[in-house]
Parts: sequence; C-alpha cells; structure tokens
Amino acid sequence: MTKTFPFLGTLLIPLFFLTSAFGQDAKLIEAAKKEGKVVAYGSLESDTTETIKKAFEKKTGIQMEYWRASATKVMDRAMNEYRAGKPLFDVILTNDNPLQIMHKHGIFAKYDSPSAKEFSKDAIDPNLGPRYRNVIVGVVYNKSVIKPADAPKSLEDLLKPQYKGKLVMPDPTQHTTTTQWVASLWKLMGKEKADKYIRDLAAMKPILVESLLPAAERVTTGETPIAITYVKYVFIFGQRGAPLDYVRLGKMMGDGHYAPLNNKAPHVNAGKAFIDFFLGDESMKIMASMGEFVNRKGVYPPLPDADKIQFVEMVDLDEKGFAEKKKEYTKIFLQ
Amino acid sequence: MNHRSIAIGRGFPAAWTLTRAWSFVSQPIHLIFLGLAAVLAFLSLYPSFFLLYGSLTDSPLGVPGHFTLQNYVQAYSDPEAYRLILTSFIFGIGASGLSVILALTLAWITIRTNAPFRRLFELTAIIPNIMPPILISISWVLLLNPSNGLINATLMWIFGLEQAPFNIYSLPGLIFVEGLILTPLSFLIIAAALKGMDPSLEESAKTLGSNEFGVAGRITFPLMRPAILAAGTLNFVRAVESFDTPAIIALPARIEVFTTKIWREALGSFPTNHNLAATYGVGILVIALLFVYLYRRFTSQVESFSTVTGKGFRPHQIELGKWKYLASSAAFALLVLMVALPFLMLLLVSLMPYYHVPTWETWKNLTLSNYRYILDTQRVHKAFGNSLFLAIVGASVCMFLAALTSYITVRTKIAARGLLEGLVFIPWAFPGSALALGLLWAYVDFPVPIYATIWIIMIAYVTRFLPYGLRAVSSTIIQIHKELEEASIACGAGFFATFRRILIPLMRPGIMAGWIILATIYMREFSASIFLYSPGSEPLGPLLYFLYLDGMRGRVGALGVVISILCVILIAFAQRLSRWEAR
Repeated sequence: MTKTFPFLGTLLIPLFFLTSAFGQDAKLIEAAKKEGKVVAYGSLESDTTETIKKAFEKKTGIQMEYWRASATKVMDRAMNEYRAGKPLFDVILTNDNPLQIMHKHGIFAKYDSPSAKEFSKDAIDPNLGPRYRNVIVGVVYNKSVIKPADAPKSLEDLLKPQYKGKLVMPDPTQHTTTTQWVASLWKLMGKEKADKYIRDLAAMKPILVESLLPAAERVTTGETPIAITYVKYVFIFGQRGAPLDYVRLGKMMGDGHYAPLNNKAPHVNAGKAFIDFFLGDESMKIMASMGEFVNRKGVYPPLPDADKIQFVEMVDLDEKGFAEKKKEYTKIFLQ
Repeated sequence: MNHRSIAIGRGFPAAWTLTRAWSFVSQPIHLIFLGLAAVLAFLSLYPSFFLLYGSLTDSPLGVPGHFTLQNYVQAYSDPEAYRLILTSFIFGIGASGLSVILALTLAWITIRTNAPFRRLFELTAIIPNIMPPILISISWVLLLNPSNGLINATLMWIFGLEQAPFNIYSLPGLIFVEGLILTPLSFLIIAAALKGMDPSLEESAKTLGSNEFGVAGRITFPLMRPAILAAGTLNFVRAVESFDTPAIIALPARIEVFTTKIWREALGSFPTNHNLAATYGVGILVIALLFVYLYRRFTSQVESFSTVTGKGFRPHQIELGKWKYLASSAAFALLVLMVALPFLMLLLVSLMPYYHVPTWETWKNLTLSNYRYILDTQRVHKAFGNSLFLAIVGASVCMFLAALTSYITVRTKIAARGLLEGLVFIPWAFPGSALALGLLWAYVDFPVPIYATIWIIMIAYVTRFLPYGLRAVSSTIIQIHKELEEASIACGAGFFATFRRILIPLMRPGIMAGWIILATIYMREFSASIFLYSPGSEPLGPLLYFLYLDGMRGRVGALGVVISILCVILIAFAQRLSRWEAR
C-alpha cells in the first residue's frame, strides 16, 4: 500500500492539474461564447492578425474583431474611449512604449494567462505580461545593386565614403522608433563611441523618410540601395521576389510587443480566451511563419541566420525623453 | 416719470421686438435659415469646441486641465514657424495656381470648343481625384527621381546625359505634383461654371469685332472669376494642409513646410500632443477665414456675375477650325500628366509581385494575385459596401445642405447669412487628424449612440467636406440671374416650389460637380475615418491605409484601380441621371 500510494499520486497529481487547466479553459470559453466576440485594437500587421483570427475562431467559435492602426493612433483611440468610460476594446496588441504610458493611466487588468508559462522569465513584464514578439531594426540592402561582398559588414561600415548618398533611414526627429534606435546605440557600442557615431552618421547625409516602410521600399526599388529598417522586410518583400538581404550584425536592437487586457473590457472572458490563444504555440508559429521574431525558443522566422541574431531591447523613452532627443537630433541631422 | 410710463417705456420695445421676431420666423426662408444655422452650428462648433478648448488647456482631451497660453507661445514664438509658413505659402500659391491654370485650359477646351474627343477628356479629367494622393506622389517619385526615375533614365539614355534632367525632390517638384493632384477639383468647379455661362456677351463681343482669343481674355475669363477664385481658394488651403505629398517628396529633399512641422512637433510626436496640434489648427483657421473673407469681397457684387438669365443659356461651342487638333493635343498632353502616367503606374504596381522600378524582367513576373485578394476577401467586399453607402448618401446629404447654405448666403439679405459660411469653414481649417480627434471626443459620449457606427463617419464626412460642396454650388448660383426666381414668385410659386423647380435645375451643374467631388473623396477618405470606424463599419480609406502601412503596395494599387473604375461608373451614372432629370 505504501508503495502504491506514491505511484497513484504521481499519476493523479498531473491529471488533477491537467483537468483543472482544461476545466478552466472550457469554462472560460463557455463564458466567452456568451459574450459573443472579442475586440482587439493593435498595430500588429493585418495579414498576420487575419490568419491568427481564423485559427482562433475555428478553435473556440468566438468571433474576433480587429481595429488596426499605428501604435500612436491605437493609444489615442484607446485612451479616449477609456476616459469617456466607453471602451469598446478588450485587448491591445502593440509595442512597449505606448503600453507603458497606457499602463500609467491604469487602463490594464492584471491577467496571468496559462500560456505565459511558455515564455522565459526575462520576457515577462510585470505589468504587461509576456513579450510575444521582438521587432528588430537592422541594415537591409538590395543585392542586385550592391553585391554581398561589397555590402557593409557592420554599423561602422555605413560611415565609409563609398556609401555616401546610398543610405536611407527614417527621420529620427520625426519617427519615434528611429529616435529610440539612435538613442539606444550606446547599448551596442558604449556611450562615447555612440555619440561620435551618431554625428558621423548624420554627416553622411542619409536620405530621411517618414518611417521604416518607405525606407525599405526605396531599397526594393533600388532608388537607395541601403536602409536602416526592420529586418523582417527581407522576408516579407523577399517572398515576393525582391532581392533583399540584411547585414549580419550579431547584436540588433528592437522593440518588444505585448498583449494586455483592458480592465474595463466589455468582453472580459473573450479577451482572456483570446490572450490565452494568442500567446499559445499555434499562434506563435503562425506569426513566425509570417516573418515575425517571436519569443519562443526554437521558433524563428524563415530568414537565413535568424537564429543567430542576438536581440537587444531598445531603451524606453518617456514623453520628456522623446522631446529632448528629438531636439538634439534636429540639431545633428537637420542643421 | 411715473410707474406706468416706465412700464410702457420698457414694455413697448419688448412687444415691438416680439413682433419683429414673429414677422422674422413667419417667413419660410427665415425658418429655413434658423434650422440650417442650428444644424451647421452643431456640426461644426460641437467638435471644434473640443479642439479650441484643447489649444487653451494643458491636459489631453477629456481630462480636466488648467487654462494656459503656453501652447500658443510654443507654436508661434519660434521664428522658424514663420519661415515655414512662408514656404507653405509659396507651395500653396504655386500648387493652387498651377491647378487653376491647368483646369482652366482643360475646361475651356472640353466645354467650349469643338475639339475632338472632348467628352472623353471631360470624363477622364476627374479620375485623379479618385486616386489616393499618396499613390500619385509615389508614382511621380518612380518617374522623376534623380537616381532611377523612369522618365529621367529614359531621357538620359536617349540624349546621353550624365545627370538626370529632373529632380522631383525640390520645391518645384513638390509644387508640380501637388498641382496635378489638385487639378481635378479646380476642373470640376470651373467646368460647372463654364457650362452655365450665357454666350450672349461673348457673341456681342464677337459682333463688335473681337476674335476668339480676345473674347476669351476680355469676356470669358472675367466672367469665370468667381469659379476661378473658388477653385484657387479651396486648393490653396488644401495644399497648405496636405501632408501626403510633402511626406513623400519634401522630407527626402529636406524641405520643411508647415504640415511637416505640425507632424514633427504635435501629431507625429510621442505621445501625440493634440493641444499643440489644435493650436496650429487655430492658426490655419485664421488663414482660412481670411481667405473666405477675401473670396466674399471678390464676389460681393453678385449681380455683375449673373450670366444665366431667362433668355436661354445654352453655351455655344467655339469653332476652332484646324486649331481644334492642337487643342485636343494640348488636352491630351495634360491628361497624360494628370491621369495616364499615374494611373499606369498604379496599374503596373497592382500587377507587380513587389514594388520596384520596372525592368524588362518585370514583364515576365506580372501577377493577378492582388486582384484575387480583392475578389476573395470578405473584408474588402464589406469595405466597398460601406464606402459606396457613405459616398452616395453622404454626398447627397452634403449637397442638400450646401445648396441651401449657398442659396441663403448668396441670394438673401438676411443679416447674419455670412455666419453660415463661417460655420461651414471652421472644421475645414483644422488638420484632418486633429479634427477627427475632436469628432471622436465629441461623439464618444454623445447621448444618441452613434459612436462606433457608420453614422459617425457620415457626420464626419459631411462636417469636414461641406466647404467643397458649398464652393462648387456657390460658383454656379452666383451666375444665375434673379429674374428667374422673381418670375416664378410673380407667377404665385412659393419658396419651396421656386427652389425645387427653378433654382435646383439651374444649379444642377454645380450640384453635380460638388456631388462628384464629394462622392469620389468619400470613396477613399481616411484621415477622419481611421479614428472613427469600428471593425464592422470599415470603409475603403482605412483599408487602403492599412495595406499601405503593411507594405502591400500591390494590393493598394489593385484596390486603387478598382476604386477608380467604380468611381468612373458612379460619375457616368450621376451625369446620366442628371441629364435624364433635366429632360
């Protein structure tokens, strides 16, 4: 008897947790179905969301509605609805900075999703939950204009005279992710070297555009062969035939994205059910297959050497920090 | 003075005022004026209040804050701001001037001459108004950029040049592209006025010995002044307010205009500083109202512009003889610049697997996958339904309000009639996204639950674009002589009968021009829609924007081509309906 009890115990204890997890899941989905739908606002690309939405609806039977905009517009709308006491959204899918500002305004509920267990501890923000993807900024070039052998090999290479007039980047005085990227360069090269690098980069008179996408597009057209932009564009445009590649920098900086729950969510159970699915294996694999760097060990986008990229999170800047940096970069890049 | 006399002294004016008030409201036109003023005041002042309040407070919209002038100090104490205002002014004058010159040439050829293919030219001139301006700008960058622009590359190859002859990244390049984008709006307003012009003055001039060009310079052009000023005024403010073209062309050229500054410091800052955006909006409002005042002064002597009289107003066509082929060639060349080149680029982008400068290799890889996406995606079908509804119903509501407003401001002597025009122009002066935020806040807590429905988008469209309808219809109504209305009233018809049976048919060219402008803008509007739509009520504008944001240029191009074709059908249908009603 004394021998059989531990044996039964080892069988029953996991079974208990398993049934309770399934029980909670089933109960949650049942409650969510009664609420009818889940509404998410976010800056995650529409195609990716559409594929996840289909999988979620198929698995749970709960309808998903998605309002897509840039991170700033997502924040504007969510905050306005929240302040008016009429929030229509359950979940927000966007990047760290606006979410931290929204969090300061007390907009989110604390929800410990069972799917969070799959993330490493350092990828979990105490307020926003798991960082589900990293959007990485790197150096992308057009292979048909610049041969891989002649391409830059490091950030420092971009300062070589042969690349003058051939580099495009978003305007760091206007585009916030680029402001953050320039302000975080010290994380890769130390403060003193970074300060000099920023001035030297500005002296190269890079072509400045509105955001990261127009920068990548100028590379696909060959109008400007090298860009500081999202590395994922190499895959996204590459699968349609664009001759793009990226410089293997080793360490690359980017921004983390999260999926927190509104604390006044009109469909709270549907919101939780969606977060559980969204942070789960199936959704992570869908995202990775569409070019995203998800935070799941062994799951990478179909991009050469994606597994070798070491992600460095960019510094968070508050409102004052952004204003100061934009002022500083106006002097360096525009005057 | 005893108590009685005091009572009479106070009571008499009161009774007199009441009598005056009663006599005022007892006339139908005055009641209509009051009703219309109430509707326009609600539409424009309600959201504008939040923006004006925002410019004078230190906290975001919806949060109680403290009164402050700091936003004004920040916005207007910077000497750089005035330099940028000057650059914007040059840009605005250049682009609107170019649009008026091109539109006048095109309208004169298509409406007043016997140039071959003129009807086809007339229809195609409207197409660029349908295409998203950002795509037109991108098309021109692909054609005229100094690195590998198609036109530059071709000219360099033909003439063996070492340097590209054109550089789109310059102030003239910026003016050129914006001017082309604005031309259809000028064309619609000027063409409507040309269609309604009485030829008797021109015939008199010819009888007195003037040649065709003398008639055009001395008679036609001065008679067209209200329409030219209307088009110029509208397009000046539209250019000064535009962000799409400067974002694509001015930014890489390191030219800064006022809107890029607003974007940098307010709307594009993080987090968005709506207080500062509203403050800049108030500045644009002052400039816009100044232009409205100037426009009203130019057109104050209304009678002198009356050219549509009761004596037959079918404009005659000028026989150009052998010059008609030259006229057709000129119109054709203009349309190649305005329509053919950007549309072909749009078509090409829609057939390319990814966005790039076409080479011989491109022809092998053309694909219809972007059109398949449109056919297969339910979200796209729903967006088409929503936009068509907004275009047809929204443009009709807007033109009804515009026709009434125009009649009262131009035709009546009601003391406060100028107020109506002011009310119409207030929301127009704010940058699109700033106004959308005012609308969002205004209607999010509105007692009638219209927030997150398609109706809030309709209200936004009517509020924001009413000036377009008003300008189009006003330039026509100014030309209609009062004798026709007077004859109708003398025959015993009331206000409504006269309005419906005399004025509406005579105003039809202006109403139709305004309707077409509005319907085509509504088919692709995004700056207001983006803040106000909810997943169920998504129109085409936000859908185009998201596809653009996600780098799906091919899908944007395909959707742009389909929207353009749909709009041409809509326009042809509207014109046919207009002619059918006129019979």
